[in-house]
Amino acid sequence: MVSALVRIVSFAALAYLALPLVVLVGASLTTTSFLAFPPQGLTLAWYGKMLGDPSYVSAFLISTLLAVAATIVAVLLAVPAAIAIARYRFTGRGLLSETLMSPLILPHVVLGAALLQYGSAIGLVRSFPALLVGHVVIIMPFVLRAVLPQLSEDQRSLEEASADLGARPLTTFFLVTLPQIRSGLVSGAIFAFIASWINVELSIFNTTAELTTIPVKLFNYVQYTIDPTIAAVSGLTIIVAAVVIVLLDLTIGLDVLSERRR
Amino acid sequence: MSGTLRPVLLLCALPAAFFVAFFLAPMAVVLIASLTTAAGQPTFAHYLRILADTYHWDVLWVTFRIGALTTLVCVLIGYPLAWYLVRIVKWRPWRRFCVILLVVPLFTSNIVRSFGWMVLLGRNGLVNDGLIGLGLIERPMRFLGTELGILIGLVYILLPFIVLAVGNALAKVDPALEHASADLGATPAGTFRTIIFPLSLPGLMAGAVMVFMLAVSAYVTPALLSGGRITVFSMLIFQQYSSVFDFNYGGALSITMLVLTLALVAIAGRLSEPRRA
Repeated sequence: MVSALVRIVSFAALAYLALPLVVLVGASLTTTSFLAFPPQGLTLAWYGKMLGDPSYVSAFLISTLLAVAATIVAVLLAVPAAIAIARYRFTGRGLLSETLMSPLILPHVVLGAALLQYGSAIGLVRSFPALLVGHVVIIMPFVLRAVLPQLSEDQRSLEEASADLGARPLTTFFLVTLPQIRSGLVSGAIFAFIASWINVELSIFNTTAELTTIPVKLFNYVQYTIDPTIAAVSGLTIIVAAVVIVLLDLTIGLDVLSERRR
Repeated sequence: MSGTLRPVLLLCALPAAFFVAFFLAPMAVVLIASLTTAAGQPTFAHYLRILADTYHWDVLWVTFRIGALTTLVCVLIGYPLAWYLVRIVKWRPWRRFCVILLVVPLFTSNIVRSFGWMVLLGRNGLVNDGLIGLGLIERPMRFLGTELGILIGLVYILLPFIVLAVGNALAKVDPALEHASADLGATPAGTFRTIIFPLSLPGLMAGAVMVFMLAVSAYVTPALLSGGRITVFSMLIFQQYSSVFDFNYGGALSITMLVLTLALVAIAGRLSEPRRA
C-alpha cells in the first residue's frame, strides 16, 4: 500500500521533471510562428533562424568562452588551495576553507550587486574580466568540494617516497598526486563549467547589449517576447546539458543512488 | 611550524588574494555602503528605513513564505522519490535513466526551466488544457503572477537537490541494520521510523536547508513567473542596483537578506544536529 503510494508520487515527480524540457524541445520544432505544444508539423527552421542571428551566436560564444576561462582559472586556484588545506596544518586553515566554500551559500544577487558596486569603484565593470572574476568566485567551491575528499592521508607516503627519490614538488604533483585526484577534478570542473554556463543572477549586473551571455540574453528577451526562436535557444541548451550528462554517466558514472553492495 | 609556512604560502597566496580582492572586498564595500550616506557619513538610516517600511515586511513575509512552502513540498515529493530510486527500482538502466532525468534540469539554466513553466502554465498552456480536459476546472486558472505559479517553478528547480541529498543518505544505510531490526521483531514501519528515517535525517536536513536558501534568494524564477505582480526580496535588491542606483540602500537590503538567510540556516543546522541518546 505504502509502496504503491511511493510509486505514484515518484512517477508523478519524474513526469513533472521531464515535462518542461520535453515541452520546450517539442515547441521549438513547431512550424507555427507562435509557441505550440504539441508542435504543429516539424521543422528545424527556428534553429536555423537562431544560428543565423549573429547576436545569439555571439552570446553563445561569450558564454562558452567565459565558462571555459572561469573553469581554468578556478581549477588553477582551487587545486593548490585544496592541497594546502589537505596536506598542511596551519593557522587560518579552517577560515581559509570556509571562506573559499562560502560562495555556495551566498545569494548570487547579493554577490552580483557587490561586485558591480566594488567594480565601479576600481573600474572593473561591464567587461569580460568583470564577468570572469565573479564567475571564478562562485564556481571555485565546486572544484574544491570535488577535489578535497580525494586528497587522502595515505597518498602522503607516496608523495614522500617521490620526494625521497629526488623528484621536485611539481614533478611529484603531476606524476603522483594529480593521477589520484583526476576523477574528482574532472567532475568538479564539469560542475564548475555548468554553474558558470547557466548563471544569470551574477552575470546580469555586468552584461551589456553587446557583451551578453546566453542565459542573460534569454532572460531579457523572454520578459518581452515569446516566440519559437527562444524555444530553439532553450532546446539547444537542454540538448547540450543532456549530452554532457550522458557523457558524464558513461565516463565517471552517475549511479550515485545505488545501494552499497553487501 | 616554519617548515610548513613556505609551501602553504606558495600554495595559498594566489587563491587567498583572489578571494580577498573579488569576494571579501566587494562584500565589505557593500557592508560599508549600507552603513553610510551617499556623502560617506556613517548612518543607520538605511536599516531604519527597511525596519520602518511595512512594504518591506510584506515582501519579506512573501519571500520566506514561498521559501518555506517550496522546502515543504520538495521534502514531501523528494523523500518518496529518493526512496523509490534507492530502494524500489531494481532495474539499473531505469535507475540510470531516472538519475539522468533528475540531473538534466540541474544542468539547464533557471531561465530555460522557468521559461518552460511560463509556456506550460499560460492561459492556453498544457496544464490548463489538461485540467479542463479532465473536467477538474471549467475556465482556465491563472497560474502566472500567483504564488502558486512561483511555487511550481521553484519546486521544479530545487527538487533534484533534495532527492540527491536524501538518496545519498539512504544509499549509505547498512542493510544489516534492517535485517537485525526485522529479526528482532520490528515491523517494516517500525524499522523505518526508528532506524532508517533517523539515519537519513542529516541528508534530508542538508537538502532542505540548501533548498530553502536557494528558494529565498532566487531571482530569475520569481521574476519570470510573477509577471510583475508579486515582489520577492531579491527583486528589491536588483531594482536598487539596476534602476534606482541607490547603492547605499541596496547594500542595506543585501546585508539584511544575507543575515536573515544565514541566521535561518544556522538555526536549521542547530536543530538537525543528531541528538544524543
